[in-house]
Amino acid sequence: MTVLGRRAPAVTGALSWLMSPKRLEGLRLQAFMVPIGVVFAVLFAIPLAQSLYFSVTDFNGYSTKVNFVGLENYRKIFTDPSMLAGLGFTLLYAIGTTVIVTVLAIPLAVLLNRRFFGRNVVRAVFFFPAIPSIAILGLVWAFILSPLGSGAINWLLDAVGGFGPVPWLSDGTLAQLSVIMVAVWSSTGWHAILYLAYLQAIPGDYYEAARVDGASARQAFFRITLPLLAPAVTVSSLLLMTGGLKVYDLPYTLTKGGPGYATFTITQSIIQSGIAQAKFGQASALAVVFMLVVGAIVALQLVLSRRLEGRLS
Amino acid sequence: MRKQRSSPILSLVMILAAAVVGVPFYYIVVNTFKTQRETSASPLAPPTSLYLDNYVRVFENTPILQSFLNTVYVTAVSIVIMLVIGSMAAYAMLLRTNLINRVAGVLLVIAFLVPGQATLIPVYRILVELQLVDSLEGLIMLYTAGSIFCYFLIQGYLRSLPISIFEAARIDGAGPWQIYWRIVLPLIRPILITVGVFQTMWIWNDFITPNVFISSPDKQTLVLQVYKAVGEYSVDWPAFMTLSVIVLIPVVIFFIVMQRHIVNGLLQGSVKG
Repeated sequence: MTVLGRRAPAVTGALSWLMSPKRLEGLRLQAFMVPIGVVFAVLFAIPLAQSLYFSVTDFNGYSTKVNFVGLENYRKIFTDPSMLAGLGFTLLYAIGTTVIVTVLAIPLAVLLNRRFFGRNVVRAVFFFPAIPSIAILGLVWAFILSPLGSGAINWLLDAVGGFGPVPWLSDGTLAQLSVIMVAVWSSTGWHAILYLAYLQAIPGDYYEAARVDGASARQAFFRITLPLLAPAVTVSSLLLMTGGLKVYDLPYTLTKGGPGYATFTITQSIIQSGIAQAKFGQASALAVVFMLVVGAIVALQLVLSRRLEGRLS
Repeated sequence: MRKQRSSPILSLVMILAAAVVGVPFYYIVVNTFKTQRETSASPLAPPTSLYLDNYVRVFENTPILQSFLNTVYVTAVSIVIMLVIGSMAAYAMLLRTNLINRVAGVLLVIAFLVPGQATLIPVYRILVELQLVDSLEGLIMLYTAGSIFCYFLIQGYLRSLPISIFEAARIDGAGPWQIYWRIVLPLIRPILITVGVFQTMWIWNDFITPNVFISSPDKQTLVLQVYKAVGEYSVDWPAFMTLSVIVLIPVVIFFIVMQRHIVNGLLQGSVKG
């Protein structure tokens, strides 16, 4: 009796705690996490687990018997010429656009920060190519670079210098260069606007003090502007690098990945082998490698730029 | 600080540079008013007359309105869904910091870093199972993945607000739904607009998803339609450029109206990204 009597309040206590308004309110608040939980499970966790699973099996989408093949698919992707070509160009594109855009966008931002007639319009024009779909711009540039009658650049070269059509998109190296240049054209202004925001946060007093101390404009740029832009460089180059690694639209619309596999990308390779050819194992292995490469580069870049920022500031 | 003087030389150089950057847009616009023969004679020359046949032909041959409505439908529904999901999660994470939510926070960061390519093939198979391949609803489902990005930006914004607002509402007897609906949503309006504008640009411009998942012509988005038209028009360059210009008009209007929000989104997104 005494035992029971002592226990009863504990039981009802637990019950009332379970049913308490505070607890119910907590549960109702927790319910707000359900939708994002579903998104996470259906669009991230489950597919990612499946990618990992497919990458170590010979699953082809139809066979009912699935065999474990170890790292065979991983070995295959590093011997498949098209996948290697895709890996190579994707890296070239990511590094190329990151370096060129950064080198161009910083001085552009400094100029756009100065006072001049027509500044707002000029800013908008530089910024605009990043707004429309890069897929459409890729198609437009394919016409501009074409050796046929629509090819404005070859027409201009002929009219000015009299030399024949340059095979911008049909020569491997030139095609790679063309894709990278179009990307630079479309994203330099966007990144310049990013730098501009950081530039505007630098107090004018710094430059005033430097001027009083007799520093040249060059010195002011390298000693004040550039170090204070270091965080912006981190952000901008990280965006360029991850965006560059994921590239698909521009090479696909401008050159279709060609000529040959000159401008083939990892993403195009994953889609082609995984969906069109139903080589699930290989495509999944490539997807896993790709994810690891992106993760590693992001981590490396964060470490490097933290260190660089630390040294500069 | 001494006021900087406006430099005419800088002005000239920058306007010229901007003109060079703008040439491709000039190029597609002028060629819509030319015949194919005029285009190949001199692709950069201004049109000689107000020739509108290209526009007539493109509107007759291409179901632009259908694609436009498809794009608007997919974009609008996706944006509403992802803003709701993202803001609900941000709100719950702010007010309830238990173990589940802390783990969820870490998982969402990881999910945010996973490139779409890594999950593409299994996602394709899931959509096949659900019979959502080649449907606009399938696209919408895929775009809800953007909720995670929305969650990050909204959460950052919510943290900058004084938490006492929500506490006060709770003491006054408001339930979680009421607080979310009556207090949180109105308060986070600025960030909802910024994220919404940013995500609109992503979905409106997206090419990879419709290209992989849509095959019926009547379910194309605008970008996919332009891509398919290149094959159909083959060497009819002016027709292609006309279609591009028509498709770019809403983008230009959007840019002019939303420029401030786009720049905002760029800055906020870059801080988080």
